[in-house]
Amino acid sequence: MKTLHIAFRNIFRNSRRSLMTILAISVSAVAVHLFGGYVANIIYGMQSDYVRDNGHLQIYRKGFFDYGAGNPAVYGISRYQEIMQLINADPDLKNIVLMMTPILRFYGIAGNFKKDVSKTFYGLGYIPSEYKKMRQWNDYSMKRSRARLERIVLADSDTEAGIIGEGMARMLLLCEELNVKNCAEKPPEANGADLPAEAKEDFSFLSESDDLNPEQEAADKRPKLDLLAATAGGAPNVVSLYVNNTEIQGVKALDDNYVAMHISLAQRLLYGKGQKKVTGIVVQLRHTKDMALAKVRLQQLFDKNKLDLEIRDFTLIVPMYKQVISFLSALFSFIAVIMGLIVLFTIINTMTMSVMERVDEIGTIRALGLRRGGILRQFIAEGLVLGVLGATFGVLASVVLAYGINNSGLTWIPPNYVDRVPLTILIFINPFLVPGCWLGLVLLSVFSSVFPARKAGKMVIVDALRHV
Amino acid sequence: MRNNSEFAVRLTDVKKTYLMGKVEVEAIKGISLQIPTKRFNVIIGPSGSGKTTLLNLLGCIDIPSAGRVEVCGQDIACLTDEQASDFRAENIGFIFQNFNLIPVLSAYENVEYPLLLMKKPVKERKELTLKMLDAVGLTSHKHHRPNELSGGQRQRVAIARALVKGPKLVLADEPTANLDSKTGQSIIDLMYAMQAENHTTFIFSSHDRQVMAHAEKVFEIQDGLLMQDKEL
Repeated sequence: MKTLHIAFRNIFRNSRRSLMTILAISVSAVAVHLFGGYVANIIYGMQSDYVRDNGHLQIYRKGFFDYGAGNPAVYGISRYQEIMQLINADPDLKNIVLMMTPILRFYGIAGNFKKDVSKTFYGLGYIPSEYKKMRQWNDYSMKRSRARLERIVLADSDTEAGIIGEGMARMLLLCEELNVKNCAEKPPEANGADLPAEAKEDFSFLSESDDLNPEQEAADKRPKLDLLAATAGGAPNVVSLYVNNTEIQGVKALDDNYVAMHISLAQRLLYGKGQKKVTGIVVQLRHTKDMALAKVRLQQLFDKNKLDLEIRDFTLIVPMYKQVISFLSALFSFIAVIMGLIVLFTIINTMTMSVMERVDEIGTIRALGLRRGGILRQFIAEGLVLGVLGATFGVLASVVLAYGINNSGLTWIPPNYVDRVPLTILIFINPFLVPGCWLGLVLLSVFSSVFPARKAGKMVIVDALRHV
Repeated sequence: MRNNSEFAVRLTDVKKTYLMGKVEVEAIKGISLQIPTKRFNVIIGPSGSGKTTLLNLLGCIDIPSAGRVEVCGQDIACLTDEQASDFRAENIGFIFQNFNLIPVLSAYENVEYPLLLMKKPVKERKELTLKMLDAVGLTSHKHHRPNELSGGQRQRVAIARALVKGPKLVLADEPTANLDSKTGQSIIDLMYAMQAENHTTFIFSSHDRQVMAHAEKVFEIQDGLLMQDKEL
């Protein structure tokens, strides 16, 4: 017959009150777990998406991240194949790096001269098969839409083709040809009729002459854009891009400017027939937890080989990731604190009532020889039992509810997403959520019972025995 | 002339004053007495005479406002709260008017409780508890909770609880007040028999002069003063 045994019996003396207390703790646990699981779903979902698109790390020539966007030709990496081989050969990185692929980011002007329209664009050159492989990354086994994978309809052999954002397609009047749904019709007053004649001139004359085969061009029914950019030497250069498909981007500013293409086409546009460079090497790791380790090892490798390169992780490349985490963490903390306060006051109330109902009993057991500390332990043990039962039922209820929600078929569109994704509550993906919440509630229950327990311990025995 | 060890309790000019709200009430107005060991002692007096206050002092659950209280040779004013708790656990058994059993514990567990406080080993606890339950005739009710027992049975459990640890002193504060006369008599008989068997010092308070039938020594108090101290 130990203290906990007696505590267990004591809390069920007033079973209704104790059940309500346990229920309050359980509901708090459920709220924290479900919200925590929902937040985890957003955070890990975002992380997975960013890692699929940007890898974990990107290697740039020093200064590119801050200044290179203005002059990608100058900040290009020429020996990128050698650098990738160097990384592949490193025994420390071998096991943690899943894949690497070169990319080329730049800005230019895209023109659809059949429709007399042109606009600036943000260009991304990649190797299609490797980019597709990158999008397979799913270290957290997240349920996701297949649409993002299926939208990359480029083949490695298709070196003249690309994909553009839906906004870009709309602005370049390609909605019909590319079957873009919900494309608003262009207002008649903005059809470009009032532009001066020289502005309508096709800038394809700037193109290097041997790029396109006229017969092949005539046979190809895909919409075609002319892309203009400045080469490394500063001269303008133009290439033609066949648009295979559109891929809507989550952010309108990006969607209105996005042009993805085979890397060789981007290189031809930016470097002409000269040296082929890339602006970055994307490194995707097997697990995000290895990111810091990989970063350190890569830096050591670059220092050792005197390579003028810098490494940026995806949290710097996409600052919104940390901002969202920070916002959701604040929201989660707020909810956890509110729930904690509910538990705190509920247990203080329950334990105080329990003490008041048992004054003569406290006097009796003190008279029998139980020390003040024993009384304190007895009531704290009761708080502990309430906390353990409430938190445990809370975990069980959370698991059942999360299972129900995850299998209900509910979908939603997270911020910056374009596709509906399954609504999932990932209560176990963060290994600290369930044990942390359980332990937190139990400790809070113990803490809440200290005040009433101290009150019980300080009772004067004769007064307690006289109590009716 | 008895020496110190022959007295379970020695009171020297003991006074006890309470504050009832803002009013000071002098419950004990200067009592000096010596209670011999291994005897069935009765403190008798009308309600409000100071019997319970006196028992509280003897039970080390209260301290005097003035004077000296020695219980089993120990000046109780010298004990810290923890020492007093340990002293009570070791030396003093209590029997209350309202039985004061712990409602969530069975008869067996209630009797075992003082042995737990003394940290006795499991085997010894079991042995002593069963023996004591047998002595009070409640072996068949050992798993019953207090609310499943009659008043007389509850008081028997309380007697077993008080005696199970073999205390030097057992204090019973009007133990028959809440029992009918027949049951009350059986409880007095039981306590007397247990005292005789265990050779424990019993101090029994009552305002009922009938309980004096078994008493070996009677202390009569009135208005906080010792009126009479007689051997029977």
